[in-house]
Amino acid sequence: MSYTSLTRRQLLAGFGAAGAVTLLGACGASKSKSISTKGVSANGGSAGSGSAGDAKKITMLNWVLYIENDADPSKSPTIRSFTDATGIRVDYRPEIDGNDTFYTKYEPQLSKGKGIGADIVVLTAWMAARMIAKGFALPFTESHIPNKANLLPDFANPPWDPGRKFTLPWATVLAGIAYYPDKCGFELKSVNDLFDPRLKNRVTVLDEMRDTVGLLMLAQGLDPASGSIDDMKKAVAQIRTARGNGQIRKVTGNSYTEDLRLRDTWASIAWAGDAAQLQHDNPDLRWLFPAEGTMRSTDNAMILLGAPNQVGAELFLNHVYDPKVAGPLYEKIQYPSPVKGALANMSAAAKSSPFLNPTGKLVEFRILSANEDDELSKAFAEATQQ
Amino acid sequence: MDGRIARRGWVPYALLAPGLAWLVLFFVVPLFSLGRKSLERGGLHNYSKVFSDNAAVIGRTFLYALAATMGALVLGYPLAYVIATRGGRAKNLLLALVVLPFFTTYLIRTIAWKVLLFGDGPVVRFLRFTHVFGRNSELLGTHWAVIGALTYNFLPFMVLPIYVSLEKIDPRLLEAGIDLYATPIATFRRVTLPLSMPGVFAGSLLTFIPAAGDFVNAELLGSDGQRMIGNIIAKNFEKDVFRPKISALSFVLMVVILSGVLLYARFLGTEDVI
Repeated sequence: MSYTSLTRRQLLAGFGAAGAVTLLGACGASKSKSISTKGVSANGGSAGSGSAGDAKKITMLNWVLYIENDADPSKSPTIRSFTDATGIRVDYRPEIDGNDTFYTKYEPQLSKGKGIGADIVVLTAWMAARMIAKGFALPFTESHIPNKANLLPDFANPPWDPGRKFTLPWATVLAGIAYYPDKCGFELKSVNDLFDPRLKNRVTVLDEMRDTVGLLMLAQGLDPASGSIDDMKKAVAQIRTARGNGQIRKVTGNSYTEDLRLRDTWASIAWAGDAAQLQHDNPDLRWLFPAEGTMRSTDNAMILLGAPNQVGAELFLNHVYDPKVAGPLYEKIQYPSPVKGALANMSAAAKSSPFLNPTGKLVEFRILSANEDDELSKAFAEATQQ
Repeated sequence: MDGRIARRGWVPYALLAPGLAWLVLFFVVPLFSLGRKSLERGGLHNYSKVFSDNAAVIGRTFLYALAATMGALVLGYPLAYVIATRGGRAKNLLLALVVLPFFTTYLIRTIAWKVLLFGDGPVVRFLRFTHVFGRNSELLGTHWAVIGALTYNFLPFMVLPIYVSLEKIDPRLLEAGIDLYATPIATFRRVTLPLSMPGVFAGSLLTFIPAAGDFVNAELLGSDGQRMIGNIIAKNFEKDVFRPKISALSFVLMVVILSGVLLYARFLGTEDVI
C-alpha cells in the first residue's frame, strides 16, 4: 500500500481552508495509485479553475460509447468504483458529437475566460492542440495524477503537448478498412485494393478528413505524420477521381455503419470500434490493418478554463489510469487502452483481439496550422461534396 | 363609449405582439445575422461562388422537392377525395391512418425505408424476382429512393389540407351540376376541382417547402449523387472557414423555395386559394 500526499499549498488551494482531505493509498500493484477524497467538504475547485464548484461532483463531457453502460452512466463500474472510493459523483454526459461543433458552441465562453460548466472534456488530438494553443486548457496538477506514469510511452510526448501537461488520452481511435470477403470476391490487403474495379460503387470512405486523407496518403507512399499540404492534396485528388468514376459510392459520416450492416457497402474505410461492434451481428465482416499502415488518432481528456472541480477531475483521470480499472473499461468499450498494464487486466479473448491490441504500423496525422487546416478542409469539401 | 373603443383599439396589437416578438427574435434577428455572415470574407462573390460550385446540387434539390410534391399530389388527392366523399363513418379512422406514421419519429421512418430498400431487402428481391430489376440493379443510392421517401414522409401534409377543402364543398353544388346534365367528370372538373384548389395549393406548399430543405432522406437513402442543399449545409456549417459560404447557400435555398412558391402562385393564381 502506498500513500501519495499533497503539499499544504495544494491542500489549501484545492479543497479550501475548511476542507479535510484524506488521502488513501491504492491497494495492490505499486503502479496503481489512487487518491481518495472521502470527507472532502464543499467549496472544491482549484487555484486555476476560476470558479468554485461542488467538491463532491464532477461533470464530464465525452463521446458516445466511451464508457460502460453509456445509456445510464451511473451504472458504469468505472464511475461507481470512483464514487465509492472518493465520494465524488460523476455527472457523465456522452454529448460531444463533433470537434467543430464543440468548438463552435463553447469558444465564445472560453475566449472570455468563462467556464463551460464541465470539468473534463474529451477532444480529438488536433482540437485538443488548438485548445492548448489558445490557452483554454488548464495544466494538470501532477501530484493528483500519479497513475499518469502508466501512460504508454508511445503516447507520452506528442508534439502538441510534450510531457502530457494538459491532456491524457482517453481512447485510441484506429481507422483502417472493414470489408466483406464474400461480397468483394477477394481478400483485401492494401488501401489501394479499395480502387479495384470489382468494388466499383461498393466503397465508402469516411468524411473525417484526417483519417481518409491519411490512409490514401499511406497508399501513395506519402507520410501523413510529416507530409506537406501538397502531399495531402494528392490524396484529395484521388478521392475526387474515384468519386467521379463511380468507384466511391459515398463519402460518409457515422451512417456508413448502417450501409455496411446492410451489406450494400462491401468495403469501407472504417473505425475499429465500429467494426468490432458490427462484427457481433455480421461475423462475415473482416477488419484489415492495411499493409501500408493504419491511421491512429487519440481522443484526449482535458480540463478547460473555469472547471468547477479541477481536483475532482484529476482524481477521476487518476482512477481511470489505474490498470485494474482501465482493463475492464477498455475491454468493454472495445478501444485500445493507452494505459500500461490494462491489457493484463483483460480476459484472454480480449488480449488476442486485434481491436484492443492493434498490430502493424500506426500513424498519426500531423497537427495542421489553422491556415493549413482551412486550406485542406476546403479542398476536401470540394472533392467530397460537389 | 369612446374610451371603450379606444381601449378595444389596442386589442389587435396586444394579440399581435407576442407572435411578432417571437418572429422578430427567432426569425428576423437570426436571418439578419445569417445575411451578414454570408457577406464575410468575399462579399457578394460568396453568392456567385456557391451558386457555381453547387449548381448541380441546387438544381437537384429543386427537382427532388418538385417531384416529391407532384408525387404527393398524385397519391394524396384521390386519397383525400375518397376519405371526404366516401369515408362515411370510417372518415375519422381513415384520417387517423393518414397521420399514423407521424406517431413514429421522422428519422425512424426514414431508416425503416433503408431496411426495406437495401440490396438484399424485400423490395429489391421482389423486383428482381419479377424481372423488373436486373441482378445488379438497386434502389438505395438512387434518385427514386430519395424522391420516394420524401413523398412518403410529406404525404400527410398534402392529404389533410385537400381533405379539408373537399369536405367543405356544399353537396348541393354537385347536385346542381348533375341537374344541369353535367357528366360526373365534368362536375368534378368544373365544380369539385376548382373548389378544392385552396387545399391543393396549401398542401403543395406544405410539401414543397420542407422537402426542399430536407437532408435526412438524401443522407440516409442516397449516395453522393443524391446530395441536397440541406446536406451541404448540415455538413459544413459548424466549420468556421465554411460559414460565410454556407450562410450564402442558406439564402440560395430560400431563393429556391421562394421561386418555387412564386411560380406556383402565379400559375395557380392566389386570389381564390389563400
